[in-house]
Amino acid sequence: MSSIRACGWPEDLLLSSSLSAFRPGPLASFARMARREPDLALGLMLLALVALVVAAPGLFTAHSPLAISVDKAMEPPSAAHLFGTDDVGRDILARVVHGARVTLSICATALVAAAAIGGAFGLVSGFVGGRLDMVLGRLVDVVLSFPPIILGVMITGILGPKTANLIFALAVVYVPLFFRVARSGAMAEAGLTYVEAARSIGLSEPAIMLRHVTRNVLPLILVQCMVLFPLVLQIQSALGFLGLGVQPPTPDWGAILQQGKDYILLAPWISAFPGLAILVTALALMLVGRGLQRRLDRR
Amino acid sequence: MVDYLARRLAASVLTALLASLVIFMLIRSVPGDVVGQMLGQTSDPVAAKALREFFGLDQPVWRQYLNWLGRMASLDFGVSWTRGQPVATMIGGALGVTLEIAFATLALATLVGVPLGVYAAIHEGRALDRAIQTFNLLGLAAPVFWIGLMLLVGVSTAFDWSPPLVYTPLTTSISENLSMVALPVASLALLQAAAYSQFVRQSVVSAFGQDYVRTAIAKGVPTRTVFFKHVLRNIAIPLITFMGLILIQILGGAVIMESLFALPGLGRLLLTSIEGRDYPVLQAGLLVVVMIAMLVNLVVDLLYHVIDPRVRLA
Repeated sequence: MSSIRACGWPEDLLLSSSLSAFRPGPLASFARMARREPDLALGLMLLALVALVVAAPGLFTAHSPLAISVDKAMEPPSAAHLFGTDDVGRDILARVVHGARVTLSICATALVAAAAIGGAFGLVSGFVGGRLDMVLGRLVDVVLSFPPIILGVMITGILGPKTANLIFALAVVYVPLFFRVARSGAMAEAGLTYVEAARSIGLSEPAIMLRHVTRNVLPLILVQCMVLFPLVLQIQSALGFLGLGVQPPTPDWGAILQQGKDYILLAPWISAFPGLAILVTALALMLVGRGLQRRLDRR
Repeated sequence: MVDYLARRLAASVLTALLASLVIFMLIRSVPGDVVGQMLGQTSDPVAAKALREFFGLDQPVWRQYLNWLGRMASLDFGVSWTRGQPVATMIGGALGVTLEIAFATLALATLVGVPLGVYAAIHEGRALDRAIQTFNLLGLAAPVFWIGLMLLVGVSTAFDWSPPLVYTPLTTSISENLSMVALPVASLALLQAAAYSQFVRQSVVSAFGQDYVRTAIAKGVPTRTVFFKHVLRNIAIPLITFMGLILIQILGGAVIMESLFALPGLGRLLLTSIEGRDYPVLQAGLLVVVMIAMLVNLVVDLLYHVIDPRVRLA
């Protein structure tokens, strides 16, 4: 529209004409995107579903995730209980639906913390360089020398199974990865002409870093968040499965799976459905993360 | 070469030292110790004091660290505080189980994942490619312990069979041992095969886009020869890096599978020693894990040089 207007067409002609009908609505542009990038579209739709479950669990189930009724223990999936019931008669669908908020908020909090800490240190390390960069790089190497799961098990096992400790452990595991992305981004930016130009007009180093470099490294960090989210979810649920995460009776996907483990041959549905929830969520996040990464690479 | 090796080893030793410090400090900074666990509620202050002296817990932390480091350097891993066995024996036995799982998984995942990736790349954009890519995505998205549980349900309903409850070493009975490790290896391999196949597909597709491959095809070299002589050789280096990454990933995954299938591996040993605050086992076990990861990385770097002598060891 604006380009047409810039050509000097009379305003009233544009308004009265049917030109505005050609402007694609949000649905049409989504459909066009879905044709070109079906993976990203599928991911976005699944992610929207997950977001809806997190925002309004009441829409998906009327049962309580905590209400025990022993007379209905270990019932297979039925019309009354779509996902069946667990060993004390709680509705699995309700537990999975309400668990979405518990599980995903832990992952998201850990991810944001890791991105903020790792991103900030990486940015400074990459931009300033020198001895600071060497020391921080060594420290990051040390953390990276542990396999992620083992680091997570160690921290939660030692600090004790509390939600705050779980978030802390997940953040520690992922700080180095954000550090590396932000560091290499800041190093690349630091060599560009605009930084030199800013320096030549007398802008201070912190100002260049905060005002200019940060802005250009931020997209990298955001995409990294999406790419790492499914991995954080895997480790979060693995720790829950080992009994080191969220404690019962709070519904958490990994914890529900762990609970169903002992009844796996008698009542496989207890563990099957929370696992499926993890799978679908991870799949959605992977598809969206990759779509975003492709777009960033193309730029 | 020798020069490079010396420098790499020095850097690894430095990282290992730092890692040992981190491990030690993390473990000691936590409230509660083995004495508290042993005596429980009926803690008699005199007995507690004597026990702390016995374990050396009454000394300053830095001296405890230096003592431990000195003993580790002379390969004296000490004795478990909760089981009284030599730590070296416990870790050695557990490591055998974990390494068996890790290498079996690596072999299976390579045998399945690499051909899948190659097939997908050769049929790029067609139905077979899409099917394999869907498998890759699902394999990577599914939690590995869930795959393990579902496989267990699957085989027990289909064949009315479930794995034995007690682990048998490979040296005692091969069939008993294999029936115990089959499911954990299969579920870990499924995940890693998906990762492999995705990686190989991408490498092969981009290799086929290279000029030297186009030239080879243009001058009439059969596709099979182009693939084996040109493409495969050039993806060998990234493939080996990837194998190293996968091996470290499998070591982590083995921790979960060992706890699920009751295998007496390193992961389970670490978990139980965390619960019992068994510092000597925990410290040595973690250090062994870190050392293995470093060794894998070192071997990968050396293999680069063997495969492609142009790669400068710097």
